[in-house]
Amino acid sequence: MAVSSDYLKGAGKAHEEHHEEEEDPRQYLMYDPKPRGEMNAMVMESMTTTSWKFWVVLGILAFLVASCFFYAWGYMIAEGLGVAGVMRPSYWGVFLVNTVFWIGISHAGTFISAILRVFKAEFRRPFTRAAELMTTFGLIQAGASIFMHLGRVWLAYWMFPIPNERQLWPNFHSPLMWDLLAITTYVLGSTMYLFLPLIPDLAMARDRSTGWRKSFYRVLALGFRGTEGEWRHLTTAMNIFAFAIIPVMFSVHTIVSWDFAMAMRPGWSSTVFGPYFVLGALHSGMGAVAIVLVIMRATMKHMDYFIRKEHFDALGKLMMIVSFAYAYFFFNDYIVQWYGGDKWTDTLLHWLEEGPMAWMFYQMVGFNIVLPFLTLWNKRIRTTPWLLALIGLLINVGMYWERYIIVPVMLTINRMPFTWKLYEPRIEIFLTIGTFSMFLLFYMIASRLIPLIPVWEVQEGQMVHTLRKVGKTHVPTVSEFE
Amino acid sequence: MSDTTLLALFEDIDPAADAIDKLHEMGVTDDRLNVISGIPITHKMLGRPHPWTNVSRLALGGAVIGFALGLFLNFGTPLLYNVPVGGQYITPIPPGLILVFEMSFLLALLSTFLGVFLDSFFPNYGPMEYVSEISDGKIGIFFKVPEEQQQTFTDVLSKMGAESVMPTEARPL
Repeated sequence: MAVSSDYLKGAGKAHEEHHEEEEDPRQYLMYDPKPRGEMNAMVMESMTTTSWKFWVVLGILAFLVASCFFYAWGYMIAEGLGVAGVMRPSYWGVFLVNTVFWIGISHAGTFISAILRVFKAEFRRPFTRAAELMTTFGLIQAGASIFMHLGRVWLAYWMFPIPNERQLWPNFHSPLMWDLLAITTYVLGSTMYLFLPLIPDLAMARDRSTGWRKSFYRVLALGFRGTEGEWRHLTTAMNIFAFAIIPVMFSVHTIVSWDFAMAMRPGWSSTVFGPYFVLGALHSGMGAVAIVLVIMRATMKHMDYFIRKEHFDALGKLMMIVSFAYAYFFFNDYIVQWYGGDKWTDTLLHWLEEGPMAWMFYQMVGFNIVLPFLTLWNKRIRTTPWLLALIGLLINVGMYWERYIIVPVMLTINRMPFTWKLYEPRIEIFLTIGTFSMFLLFYMIASRLIPLIPVWEVQEGQMVHTLRKVGKTHVPTVSEFE
Repeated sequence: MSDTTLLALFEDIDPAADAIDKLHEMGVTDDRLNVISGIPITHKMLGRPHPWTNVSRLALGGAVIGFALGLFLNFGTPLLYNVPVGGQYITPIPPGLILVFEMSFLLALLSTFLGVFLDSFFPNYGPMEYVSEISDGKIGIFFKVPEEQQQTFTDVLSKMGAESVMPTEARPL
């Protein structure tokens, strides 16, 4: 299907001969088409080519998951929550910091895949799946962190709306129940949304595999052939998902923010906490996507064809815009509380600025607001992958500190000074390492089993992009296929 | 007179669309013709009838059921076992909206997902007419013709740009 490729070749040649001052359109993935078979082969090779370093890292992560996640959690279940650092006044500790952090990470997948799909942002095409995977794996860690926080995890079913021997139903008017429902909706929705566009690529992998991989992809591809009806059902469903998952995404982090904002506590009771949390989630999620894309490009074969500087550039711009919006809500939340002059809020804010956790507060402001402002306006920085990944990493450090400040630090300063005690995490540190390791482990395993590049979407994108001659130059043009 | 299924493979959309026109001219009706491709190609591009889908209806149905379920959980369960808490409503509306919203979307998404399975008859692991070149980006046109006309159709479609025209049978994928 070389509808546009011949024309592009011609345009590229013309460009070389006559328009040396114009930028070469072939630097953009959509204007540098390859035959679909070749792209399939590249993606399959990226999944099946594995170096010894991969297995070493996988082994280390597996060890960390076994020891820091399963063993540590098992130990905590056996010994009780006393082995954790949570105690009066900080009953909510790192477990909930991790929950909020991982839910935040998960927002990037939906944002990139759904919102950019709805607005037909073409640069999204090669990395939607990488972002969607982050959503699913991030939510698994968020869910695990909530169950860790429960302590008596075997009683989790008490939250489910099932009639029981006491004839009591859960209190659906509690923000914690809203959490359960919102996160469940989001986990299921985002996993289904990950799977639907994956089906054609699983069929592609099925057609090119042998042995256990063939059986694996055959089962997962469900018998997909690409008939008109199958495409119609699939694209209709993807459109519905793209629109429906957006309000769900907003609701999830808003409801998470209400866990805090509904309480009349200094630092928590805020009407802008909902959008502030959503923006914070997008901020950390975008940073995480940048890290993942850089690692994918550096470690997986042929990824430099699919993931290019244009994508880092676009992602960098998005990170900058999200950072602006985040700064706006941060300041809004801060100034209103500061201006209010409530005694305890005042004490808390002064404590944040001058107390023992001030370093965390200033790092949060520096990494989340100052750093993106100072760096991401520069195209050279945006298009340098390792720099963008570093900025993404620092943003995530800043966002983790932000959640840490909101949860245990703000619980420390309350209206009863005799209870003030700085929270010190104990087993939570190991469990945090465990969740991070599990996220990375899942991602590494998925990178060998699931085509991380949605090849059919890339090919579709390359077909709708053409160069149109306007006057003496060629103008990139995108047509509507749907 | 038995029919045989032919598969014509095309590299591009334009010759495939022309070939479908030609097949119509030669008496092959749309119900005896099927197109498979590695990317979604709209029916308008190929001059084919609009493929029917129930996915959006199922999504709407799911949303309605979810809405009703949300109402029940919110306003029904507190009445099933009434726990009065001083000065608070048993069935307050504002927090109830949250659950109704979540349940409506959850059921809408689930039914959309199931709709794809139902409409596409997934999973289907039985033998099917298919060639792996489709996922390499080729467009395949399957059509049924009387066995004695096989050569005529093969010649016509080859002239119209088909890379290959061959009889095909259902086989395990």
